[in-house]
Amino acid sequence: MKLPLLRLPSLAVPLLLAAVTLAAPVAGAQDVLVDKSEIRFVAKQLGVNVEGRFRKWKANVVFLPADLGKSKAEFDIDLASIDLASEDSEREIRGGLWFDTGKFPVAHFSSTAIKDLGGDKYEIAGALTLKGVKRDIVVPIALKKDAAGNRVAEGSFTLMRLDYNIGTGMWSDTKTVTNDVIVRVRIVLPPAA
Amino acid sequence: MIRFVSARYSGVAIALHWLTAALVFVNLTLGVSMVPLPLSPQKLQWYMWHKWVGITVFIVVCARLAWRATRRPPPHAAMPDWQRRAADGSHLAMYVLLTLVPISGWLYSSSTGIQVVYLGLFPLPDLVPKDRTLASVLKWTHYGLNSALFALVLVHVSAALKHHFIDRDGTLARMLPAAWTRSHS
Repeated sequence: MKLPLLRLPSLAVPLLLAAVTLAAPVAGAQDVLVDKSEIRFVAKQLGVNVEGRFRKWKANVVFLPADLGKSKAEFDIDLASIDLASEDSEREIRGGLWFDTGKFPVAHFSSTAIKDLGGDKYEIAGALTLKGVKRDIVVPIALKKDAAGNRVAEGSFTLMRLDYNIGTGMWSDTKTVTNDVIVRVRIVLPPAA
Repeated sequence: MIRFVSARYSGVAIALHWLTAALVFVNLTLGVSMVPLPLSPQKLQWYMWHKWVGITVFIVVCARLAWRATRRPPPHAAMPDWQRRAADGSHLAMYVLLTLVPISGWLYSSSTGIQVVYLGLFPLPDLVPKDRTLASVLKWTHYGLNSALFALVLVHVSAALKHHFIDRDGTLARMLPAAWTRSHS
């Protein structure tokens, strides 16, 4: 009778501690105003711009202009939450030839270095992991304030979908869908504390 | 064999009529065939062609309306008054539908967030924003208007054939190229 009672807390305490540590916000982390933020993209389909966005994603952003070494940006994007022209195309893009969300549900970006370019412009270097492929990317952003004093970071970069094996097989012809996909990110942070 | 042939439509009106008929036939066939296809590059290609043909119909119909507005069509052959009214009514309804069907398709495309770029060269403005609910409404509007157009085309063709083969009153000949009429009269 005593053994389980002893064993339970001995396991539970470190687990609980671990959970608390994981849940605790990173020092200086700022809540991204998700409703005002967006991750969109545009590619050309048979010569016509087709836009989309992700409905669900998480971000962990620490932005300290005075201490860029301690600043960072991390994103987890729920690929199945994609918003496209129709349910038909959303179903297709979740499939194996495109994102294969059953196997690779999340795209992850983690910054490695943030460079101040002056004039409220920055360059975020980091690694993007998409469909099991990890590649270094650089995202230039411009910072400004909206009417409410929120800090708005806007940037875009061009992603080559075939680098990540996105749109293979019958979709690999870039005359149907361009290889270049322009990703536009708009991240809104509350005013600096 | 001598057959009474009433005054005919002008060459321009005849050419535009048969061009419309060919384009509508092609696009109804394309539309009905492409919708059930599983998503593929070929399906996207067919949708694109469908939009181009549809916009062409719109342009041709605008030209026809302009042409028609500035001249009188030939008189009807002798027929009961109700048939004359039915003919005029269905012609008017077809003009309305031939205008609304391409517009509804264009709006439907806009509402799915895909701009129509006519012939890959001329981007048409998106008159409505991307909206899933609106897209669903416009999709069924486009389908409904097409069903009505298809029904009217059946009535139109049946009536033309009835006038030609049963009444033998020269109604169809008014809309046939002169060369065709000569070689068959």
